[in-house]
Amino acid sequence: MLTINFEKCTGCKICEKVCPFGAIVVIDAIAQVQDNCTLCGACVNSCPVDALSIERKPVPKEELDTFSGIFIWGECEERDKGTTPKKVVRELLAQGRKLADSLDQALTVVVLGDDKMQGLEALITYGADRVMRCQHKLLGRFTTDSFTNVIAVIISIEKPSIFLFGATPHGRELAPRVAARLHCGLTADCTGLEINEKGELVQTRPAFGGNIMASIVSPYTRPQMATVRPNVFSFEDPDSSRKGEIVNFNVVLSPAAIKTKVVAIERLRDEKEVSIEDAGIIVSAGRGCQKKENLKLIQELADTLGGVTAGSRAIVELDWIPHTKQVGQSGLTVGPQLYMAVGISGAIQHLVGMNSAKTIIAINKDPDAPIFKVADLGIVGNAMEILPVLIRELKRVK
Amino acid sequence: MKIIICVKQVPEIMDITINPETGTLMREGVDSILNPFCEYAVEMGLDLKRRYSDIETVAISMGPLQAKSALMRCLEMGIGRAILLADMKFAGSDTWATAFTLAETIRTMENDFDLILVGKQAIDGDTAQVGPELSEILNIPQIMYAVGIDLIDNNKKVRVKKEIEAGNEIVEVKLPALISLSKGPMIGSVSSFQEILDARKKELRVVRASELTIDENELGLKGSFTQVVKIFPPQVKKTGMVIDGSEPQGAAKKLIEFLKQRKVV
Amino acid sequence: MLSWSSGKIMHEITSEAVPSVDFKGIRCINNYSEICQDYSSYLCDESKLAHQGAKYLFFPTNEDELSAIFKEMNEKNVTVTLSGARTGLVGGAVPYGGAIVSLERFNKVLGLRYDTQSKEWLVRAQCGVTIRDLNNWAMKKTFPRLSESGSAETKAFLEKYKETDTTYFYPPDPTEMGAALGGTVATNASGARTYRYGATRNWVRWIRVMLASGEVLEIPRGKYFATPAGEFTIINSTGNETIVKIPKYVMPHTKNAAGIFSAPNMDLIDLFIGSEGIFGAITEIEVALQKWSNPISIIQFLPSDDKAIDFVITLRKEKSIRPELIEFYSSHALDLLRKKQTEDPKVVGMPPIPDYAKSAVFFDLQFDPEKKDNDYAKLKKIVNRCGSTLEMSWAGYEQRDLERFKNFRHVLPETVNTIIAERKKNIPELYKLGTDLAVPDYALEEIWGFYTSILERAGLEWVGFGHIGNNHIHINIIPRSLKEMKKGLLIYQKFAKKAVDLGGTISAEHGVGKIKKEFFSIMFSKKELKEMRAVKNALDPVCMLNPGNVLEIEEK
Repeated sequence: MLTINFEKCTGCKICEKVCPFGAIVVIDAIAQVQDNCTLCGACVNSCPVDALSIERKPVPKEELDTFSGIFIWGECEERDKGTTPKKVVRELLAQGRKLADSLDQALTVVVLGDDKMQGLEALITYGADRVMRCQHKLLGRFTTDSFTNVIAVIISIEKPSIFLFGATPHGRELAPRVAARLHCGLTADCTGLEINEKGELVQTRPAFGGNIMASIVSPYTRPQMATVRPNVFSFEDPDSSRKGEIVNFNVVLSPAAIKTKVVAIERLRDEKEVSIEDAGIIVSAGRGCQKKENLKLIQELADTLGGVTAGSRAIVELDWIPHTKQVGQSGLTVGPQLYMAVGISGAIQHLVGMNSAKTIIAINKDPDAPIFKVADLGIVGNAMEILPVLIRELKRVK
Repeated sequence: MKIIICVKQVPEIMDITINPETGTLMREGVDSILNPFCEYAVEMGLDLKRRYSDIETVAISMGPLQAKSALMRCLEMGIGRAILLADMKFAGSDTWATAFTLAETIRTMENDFDLILVGKQAIDGDTAQVGPELSEILNIPQIMYAVGIDLIDNNKKVRVKKEIEAGNEIVEVKLPALISLSKGPMIGSVSSFQEILDARKKELRVVRASELTIDENELGLKGSFTQVVKIFPPQVKKTGMVIDGSEPQGAAKKLIEFLKQRKVV
Repeated sequence: MLSWSSGKIMHEITSEAVPSVDFKGIRCINNYSEICQDYSSYLCDESKLAHQGAKYLFFPTNEDELSAIFKEMNEKNVTVTLSGARTGLVGGAVPYGGAIVSLERFNKVLGLRYDTQSKEWLVRAQCGVTIRDLNNWAMKKTFPRLSESGSAETKAFLEKYKETDTTYFYPPDPTEMGAALGGTVATNASGARTYRYGATRNWVRWIRVMLASGEVLEIPRGKYFATPAGEFTIINSTGNETIVKIPKYVMPHTKNAAGIFSAPNMDLIDLFIGSEGIFGAITEIEVALQKWSNPISIIQFLPSDDKAIDFVITLRKEKSIRPELIEFYSSHALDLLRKKQTEDPKVVGMPPIPDYAKSAVFFDLQFDPEKKDNDYAKLKKIVNRCGSTLEMSWAGYEQRDLERFKNFRHVLPETVNTIIAERKKNIPELYKLGTDLAVPDYALEEIWGFYTSILERAGLEWVGFGHIGNNHIHINIIPRSLKEMKKGLLIYQKFAKKAVDLGGTISAEHGVGKIKKEFFSIMFSKKELKEMRAVKNALDPVCMLNPGNVLEIEEK
């Protein structure tokens, strides 16, 4: 139920502008709600005097089953002069497909963007039954305000039982906003998703810096929401024989809904450069590399192997590399074929960011460094002496 | 201008170990500290207070009575006063119930705030959800992953430098707003002995559930939307080979052999 | 010291024979080239003193094997240099030929008990356990191994220990906590907390020491005392008696690690503590633990070095304030750190040192964070009288703060070492000049005045820091050329003589080893050195153990 506090309402009409359904109108300088209100909450969020509120009660048990459908946010990134869905979406589709089949519900990807969106057909070959294409010029750049509004609306109308986001920086600021608006349970940074005997989504995730695993359910609220750690779930090659549909969703958005304004952007990663999240080979540096100048060796090794460089939180804090290359609990999660940890001690907060790499090599002076516990091959020695020799030998082999 | 900083006390994660038999955390002898990301938020709040005039700072935390020491640290660092929400009824709160309770506290007691600062995530829960949920409940805009803040337009707006995947963005928003900090100063500040003594005279108010107008069913475990059903230790990866690298030539050759075996080279 | 054992005081002690073991079964590297190639770290210690080679490197696992080694080396006339963690600063573990015996495998904790008479918790451990591990286990109340393989009595004590409310710790805290317990006993090591708790000597309650003969003396404190004439009698397992005459000199009234311990009616255990391995190898030690006082670490900044000295003297006099430690960074030391902060702030780990900070005194006080009303009026007064305020300080009491402050206390000597290493690249013969002098309390102001007037006149680069509470300030001269180094060495001679004149010592904590012998003779006369040699000749007639330590190697 949407309630209006008549004493607070000033009749400013912002809610009217923001509502995607025309379900709230200002008459005689007071807002009034219509029958077609879906309780998406966009107006509540934008009212400057807090005159609007929605009382949400937990969904009664009988109603829980009326929620159906696995939905995924198809987060896009800039690529080739357009925006395409990120790799994590394919990972979510692979896992989502299993959930959908097990619950016998449909799998939908919701993609938001402007007219530069591309690569949506491919999502069907990766497992989607349906792609909801939400196009609006105000969605050209990610803002929490606009994306929350649109996704909250879609959820209010479609009533999915599960909604998944990639636990990317954007995903992790968007999902809780949506969850709070709709009063739903949300689990962060999941590494495991399963359906239990009750048909509930069991969401498994690391906590305490990765020291422990927790399994979580959201018994009373729908949809069951989760952000999913990238580079954990794998996906198969696309199946071009798969059938599915792309539908256009009519987005109603007002500029009044967007509160933040971007005034400048500083690119620290070249457009052509592969992000560490997508890289197949990573050479990563830690404090054991001793000084910033030594990172030249790291770069050279990465170039020789055909990979990219990354680093631990310690060297990001020292300003040796930008945060775009930070691996770890408070940085990014990577899942390459090869991860070389050079001069990294292996604190658990770093390990959670890279321990799903297929092959891990570690070079460190300290034989007791925890990194050796997860390395497939560990070398106890001075990295700055070993690297030049290694680079030379690799160049010979090539 | 009033700045609220929401903080949490967490165990010192570096010292935590798992009981291999029961799979539970062994918290014995593990220190409790002010969450490092929350400390960044406190440092930022104090930095704004030093750079701009007439700023009041308040720290709020929800936790057991023991969390007083984390708030005391905030006071020692220079925060003006503190509020601790401590009540058995808050126990078992998930991020929603936490955000909900914090929001109600702010609405009832500190409603004239201009800015809320939080840390990106707590190093025990690692969810990073309370900040965005809190701003949604309070209907204010949020800026996450902030590393620098300036007040502009006569303290009515903020200009924030935030980290994005490919670099940095400069974003502006009108206050009131919530900002989440992902980085702090390279070297944390140190209090003087006088500041430590003075902190003990500052206001540290303990608030019980009965002082908030929230239905009991919306608090703590009862008011949480998510439930933990199982805790277990992570899978321990099998240790690989460790070789002596004191002779670089030999070590390099062995490494390349290994990479060839793994078909990387 | 309380007398532990019931029963009368004894002046004689019998050594026990140790069961014989097949010498060939003991792990040994028996050629110098292999030692040089694969075990080169055993040839040096932290002093970086050049070694003189070694024929053998042994790794005994227990007293039986150690005894067999001693007997064999004794027979073959081969000297033995004992090796622990090799963290010493005076070359004590550096071999001058002969055999190296590494005691690293003596690394087990043996027992824990509560002594109801002395009301102390006591830990018994082998000599190779590091004091860092010992301290961590004591504070965390977990002793690995003891809970599994300890005796039933030990397990019962362990349970009781875990239930105690207080935290206990092991007070001797040298900067290098990776030192072996045996090494710290052999050198009577001390650290910052020696100000309040005394040196290692204060905490050792019992030892087992193996003599050059391969036989073992088991010595609890409070049982064996010198006769009024100053003698001990040692009887070996076959009944042969040796009389040991202790020297007659008086030890300085300061923290001291130079020379053999000597006092009227002294306890036999004290003869071995601080003897730097020349009388025997200490294999097992029992130490007492102390209640941890939950300190707050404070760094008080002051407007000048003179005011800092003033502050320390006044602080010491104030009975109601009981610091755990009192340490010092001189004006030049702070300047050096300011420079380091601009180059590499994370290494120093603290905010920029304020401009008004011209000198710094560190002290730890007991502190209760829960208490609302803290009365530090007296401290405030003293600080104000010395031209400063409590606002001009840094303080912290959480565990991570204490570690951060401790790290800051150690970063200066490390920084000096880095600078020397850099300069050594161009001038390989260069080394850091460091003093280890201490004087009695009354002489603090005088010696500081002496140091500074000479150093300022000489125009050298120098820093002063260290255990000012014990009047034990390290002066490090950082020479920029060989000429400056020579100048510095002459200045050190002057300093050493002055310290001894004032009733002090030439080595307050590092020991004499092989490096400090020339200063040693400033402190002790030829007659007194002869008295020390007499003890050596009684306990180790063939001069097998640790050749070159403390006493000159005599031609045979």
